[in-house]
Amino acid sequence: MSRTLVGRAALAVVAAVAVTSAAACGGEAGGSDGKVKLSIGVFSDFGYDTLLKEYQAAHPNVEVEQRKVKMEQHHTQLATQLAGGRGAADIVAIEEGNVAQFRQSKDKFVNLADYGAKDLSGQWAAWKWNQGTADDGNFVLGLGTDMGSLALCYRRDLFEAAGLPVDREEVGKLWPTWQDYVATAQTFTDQTPNVKFVDTALNVYKAILDQTEEGYFAKADDSYIGEKNTKVSDAFTLAASLGEKKQTGALPPFSQEWNVALKQASFATTTCPAWALALIKAGAGDEAAGKWDVADAPGGGGNWGGSFLAVPKQGSHPKEAYELAKWLTAPEQQKRIFKETGNLPSEPVAYKDPEVTATVNAYFNSAPVGQIFGNSAESLQPTYRGTKDSKVTPVFSNALSRVEQGKQNTSDAFAQALKEARDVAK
Amino acid sequence: MALETTSPPSPVGDRDKRWLLARLDGKYTPYLVIAPFFLVFGAFGLYPLLYTAWVSLHDWQLVDGDQGFTGLDNYATLLGDANFWNALFNTLSLFVLSTVPQLLAALGLAAVLDRGLRGRTFWRAGVLLPNVISVAAVALVFAQLYGRDFGIVNHLLGLVGIDPVDWRAETWASHLAISSIVMWRWTGYNALIYLAAMQSVPRDMYEASMIDGASRWRTFWAITVPSIRPTILFTVITSTIGGLQLFVEPQLFDPGGTATGTGGSDRQFQTLVMYLYEKGFRLFDAGYAATIAWVLFLVVLVVAGINFSVARRIASKG
Repeated sequence: MSRTLVGRAALAVVAAVAVTSAAACGGEAGGSDGKVKLSIGVFSDFGYDTLLKEYQAAHPNVEVEQRKVKMEQHHTQLATQLAGGRGAADIVAIEEGNVAQFRQSKDKFVNLADYGAKDLSGQWAAWKWNQGTADDGNFVLGLGTDMGSLALCYRRDLFEAAGLPVDREEVGKLWPTWQDYVATAQTFTDQTPNVKFVDTALNVYKAILDQTEEGYFAKADDSYIGEKNTKVSDAFTLAASLGEKKQTGALPPFSQEWNVALKQASFATTTCPAWALALIKAGAGDEAAGKWDVADAPGGGGNWGGSFLAVPKQGSHPKEAYELAKWLTAPEQQKRIFKETGNLPSEPVAYKDPEVTATVNAYFNSAPVGQIFGNSAESLQPTYRGTKDSKVTPVFSNALSRVEQGKQNTSDAFAQALKEARDVAK
Repeated sequence: MALETTSPPSPVGDRDKRWLLARLDGKYTPYLVIAPFFLVFGAFGLYPLLYTAWVSLHDWQLVDGDQGFTGLDNYATLLGDANFWNALFNTLSLFVLSTVPQLLAALGLAAVLDRGLRGRTFWRAGVLLPNVISVAAVALVFAQLYGRDFGIVNHLLGLVGIDPVDWRAETWASHLAISSIVMWRWTGYNALIYLAAMQSVPRDMYEASMIDGASRWRTFWAITVPSIRPTILFTVITSTIGGLQLFVEPQLFDPGGTATGTGGSDRQFQTLVMYLYEKGFRLFDAGYAATIAWVLFLVVLVVAGINFSVARRIASKG
């Protein structure tokens, strides 16, 4: 008995060591059946479910596993996986707001130019292609998936109650500029003081900033210019003025409370990039079908969101991964994704295609979304995203929240934001 | 333990050998048996702890790694960092607001459960339920209860004529709301631990005090509480460690979540671990995050030490 006890303890130790080392060796791809096993890591809905099935049917030697994570976790997880040197999917999605940050760590990624990605550059709108590249275009980090050209969604019944036009052409004419939008807010509030004109000042601010060529960082050398760029202070002041006048719902964007407010019809307008339509529909529910509509955004087109597919170096099948990413981002596939999920193609060939431009969205009072977003995409002013954009942005969002919550006035909030941003951007 | 298996008589030399083996067995087997714990602790506890200390002495970026040795620079920066002191204050405030009432309530709850209630098992299992439910679900539900525009709490306050409270905007309101989530989750758990201890208090002591004419209240403080002193010390220590590392409840209370959440628009309820997360995993400054981790470790040691001595004194006074 004594001997077996010692034996068992020894066995337990050996087993524990074996398990840990086995776990350490796990995750290596390549099955015994000779198939190439690929994984693709995305967040929310990229619309890849059916496409991946088709790809596997057409390539019997490839097996693809899709991993979906919430967007907020996705990028943090990716960062730790890159840092740890293992665990990342063979293909990873990177959102536009984060791509600049990962571009800085490009040595952790495969240069897709090595596999001929440069030949594809003509497919995308030039700004979209450039966002996914580094070193003057010599390093191709990611291939563009969708984009989020901007429109403005409004509730017809609430506009009617306030005596405003409800036809989407006329609504668009109400606000050629953001100043006009603020004026419309005043008219609306005068007529129906108990309903908020817009959900949150944060998104108004973001939309305005996304229409400028440069925001917090200089296009030329990526230096921080948030303090001297009047575009930033102007956008902030304008958005904050809505908050000071209590014309915003002070709702955290796309939060649970935002959903409830949508359901309760407590605000009349919201900025809507192409991908936001699905969120509005989900939040407002079936009973609001036909009540929301889509108009042109003030200040022309802008881009908000959209992603890229990149290939981390730690994967064991970079070539096959590239082939799959190339196929998924090709115009033909982008068109199909638009029809299924509403994610707008980032390639002119695709978003100008009659099939896309003819698309209407029944839920939004049959708005011709293909045309609205397509036009917006054509006219958009791409904005430069600095390496530290995703770090600076929340600082200004918080400042706007403080104004909306009545904790600070606009100038104090902005001053504090500038001070905090200085620390983050250094 | 192995000596009870006596084997048939054997030659002298063999017996000596067996005796030696048995001695060695008695001496070393216990160490071997607990060795796996220490191996695992060394790999997943001690090593990360020391490595974190090493990282904290560097300018260390999460993805790009070591950018050079900086000595104690991170610590110096931290001591002058207003956000750090704010997070420390929030952490201590949330800890006091949630732990003190929580442990007192758990004591009371345990005392009630210790009496002959009808359907005892049902109640005892019931108090543990909040602890079993996923914290994410709990936080989601509470976030709705504390909603500014359509939350039930504000609705109820409205019935008694109190203006709606913006629970995420005001420091004290947010601390109260988050403390209520923590209390909801952990009171029943601590109550069960107290209950287990109370059941081992000899019943004749209660009988003696009843004969002496002591009230229930007096009995509770003079007999029950001193009798379960070690358990109270245990819960004080574990709650201190847990409370100072508060993360999930406040982080999920922030609508920005882990993506952009800084514990409110002005860091009203950002705890130390939330600040660590913000620095390390959102701003990718692993060196600074490691520094926060070590300072937090020291804070926990100090506060746990204070609580231990205070709790020991209170419980023994009775």
